[in-house]
Amino acid sequence: MSVVSNILPYAVAAWLFGAGLYGIATSRNFIHLVGCLGVCQSATYVLLLGLGYRWGSIAPIFYDHPPGTPAVDPVMQALVLTDIVVGATLTALLLVLTIQAYKRSGSLDPEKLRPMRTGRGSGRAEGLDRGDSGERTAS
Amino acid sequence: MTLGPAALLPLPVAVPLVFCAAMLATAHLLPGRLPDILATLAALGVAILSGVIALHAADGPLVYWFGGWEPRDGVHLGIGFGVDAASGWIAAFIGLLYALTFIFAWGFFDRTHGHFHILMLLFLAAMVGFCFTRDMFNLFVWFEVMSVAAFALTAYHLEKSALSGAINFTVINSLAGFLMLGGIGLIYARTGTLDFEGIAAAVARGGRDPVVAGAFCLVAAALMIKGAIVPFQFWLADAHAVAPSPVSVIFSGAMVSLGLFGLAKVSAVVFAGSEQVQHALPNLLTGLGSFTALLGGWMALLQRHLKRMLAFSTISHAGIMLTALGSLSSAGTGGMLVYIVGHGLVKGALFMIAGILLATRASIDEIVLRGLGRGIGPAGIAMAVAGLLLCGLPVGVLDQGTRLVQGALSQQGHGIALAACAIGAGLTGAAVLRAAGRIFLGLGPDPGDEAGAPSEDEREKANRPLWLMLAPCCVLLALDVGLPASLIADRIPRAASAFTHRPAVEALAEGPLWLPWISVALALAGAGYGLFRNLLPKLIVRPVSATQSAPTRTLEVLHSGLIGDYAAWLAIGVAMIATVLTLS
Repeated sequence: MSVVSNILPYAVAAWLFGAGLYGIATSRNFIHLVGCLGVCQSATYVLLLGLGYRWGSIAPIFYDHPPGTPAVDPVMQALVLTDIVVGATLTALLLVLTIQAYKRSGSLDPEKLRPMRTGRGSGRAEGLDRGDSGERTAS
Repeated sequence: MTLGPAALLPLPVAVPLVFCAAMLATAHLLPGRLPDILATLAALGVAILSGVIALHAADGPLVYWFGGWEPRDGVHLGIGFGVDAASGWIAAFIGLLYALTFIFAWGFFDRTHGHFHILMLLFLAAMVGFCFTRDMFNLFVWFEVMSVAAFALTAYHLEKSALSGAINFTVINSLAGFLMLGGIGLIYARTGTLDFEGIAAAVARGGRDPVVAGAFCLVAAALMIKGAIVPFQFWLADAHAVAPSPVSVIFSGAMVSLGLFGLAKVSAVVFAGSEQVQHALPNLLTGLGSFTALLGGWMALLQRHLKRMLAFSTISHAGIMLTALGSLSSAGTGGMLVYIVGHGLVKGALFMIAGILLATRASIDEIVLRGLGRGIGPAGIAMAVAGLLLCGLPVGVLDQGTRLVQGALSQQGHGIALAACAIGAGLTGAAVLRAAGRIFLGLGPDPGDEAGAPSEDEREKANRPLWLMLAPCCVLLALDVGLPASLIADRIPRAASAFTHRPAVEALAEGPLWLPWISVALALAGAGYGLFRNLLPKLIVRPVSATQSAPTRTLEVLHSGLIGDYAAWLAIGVAMIATVLTLS
């Protein structure tokens, strides 16, 4: 069809991925971060469905259509289904990890949950940590 | 295609999955050590089956189409496994590494109803599937199964650091999965098939095409994230440092290098026909690889947490493997395949030694452990040997791989990459030797910059006798040293040409004989400096510390442990790969 409807799905996919990535990069809460990851994943749904779509065709079910009727690409739809399963697994796993992390540290802030940066470290490492987080809040 | 060697192909994937399902169904009934025994047997079975497949594949790749959906008239509808000799041997090596890891972890996870073994077997099945598949989407599925099993295994201890490390690992590797899926969608849209050979043929017909280049950019970025190449390497140090030591053995020994194995397969087979991609590859891969080798080696030298130090050394060696790939020759790829095995053997042994220290000395911190290793001398000897092998002592499989890689690099005129490989390997060896000297000989009372590195004490259960933990570690080292060089040298030229689909070459060039000695000398010098700093005259120590500390601090700040920073670096990395591809 027109240029706009040809480009639109890809533009939307790129936008969603960028927005999700920005969200992850700036997130201060793990639940929010898992949501942003979901936004990134939606980009792949849109991209795949957009790639498989054919204008003026039917869904790839030939029960009440004669074989040979133009249909959208069923492979892409299968890929999206698999992708959704992967997404559900990842979200569930991440939320479990987040809950466990919250139980142990009482915080959902990535800044407070940095691996191996707490507890017994040397003075310099702690000094670095403080300077680093100070910079972050200032900027 | 009823009977014959090709019918074996699904078995190495199916066997661990069946064991997995059976153990999960009977988890509460299985007594004591039975999960250990079953898992070890399953892994050994995979190793043997894969070895048999590899032997049969020596004359030409074996192909198996699931459900008999063979391609007709050039249309690939089915999903296939295609195994060349190299893929088969890599799978056999992975099976063996798992079997030894299960022995190392004997009884370690006894109150878990075998859940550890179930996850590990799932992980194993995914890795073998990843090696065997010849279907782009199938590759993605195994990639994801591998990732999900790895995420769960990282967080196994459910401690604070383990959880946050696992979250970082999960988020970055999920993003990798999304990128890969996007790339696969693009390539399918352009070529109308998901089969490796089908895509390759369509790509070769197509000429210069931005969609193909875009697809390669996304898939390559995803595999480089798995392979921990700068600037995607941040997750690895967090994940490997906090995972239980048997899991880290697998992560460093097999998972990371499998990412690069996938990249080798995809760039040599699927995108071989795209001139734009092949043009961009040498500079892109040798550049990123050299940088990774140096940065990983440097960071390894600055660590005090043993597993984190080994993690950075894995990053460095991944960089070396990537430069080999960048030489775009059968010799380079063949060298990389040998290197994967050699590095897996040595690095697996080193992570086992870290696990031994965790179990018997209840610490993983090099400075805390100083002198505490005196009672377990054999482990110290093993660690020193592994350190020397890691930096390139000219014996064994790892050295054979190194020489092939260096030969390919010098043949193609990548002088800088050659130097970076030698220096990177030397630095990682220095880090391991320094730690060995400090822990087992009590040297090095005056820690340098490594004292400021992040560290955290953990412990692992001390319920195993020392010999049981040391035996698999020694087997790994013995395999690395003892495998006859001629056995590999005879097979590699043909296996590499079957793997890369390039014409066979008779003999593969080997690098200069003196180069590995440079790495060894560098390692000994680096370790010696770290251990005897207090005895050296101030004239030497002061300028070194003065010039070293500023970049050191910058690097440590960059590895912040913050997921947001890692996501930003990921975006930069993808943009960089895209730029290189556009310009070529």
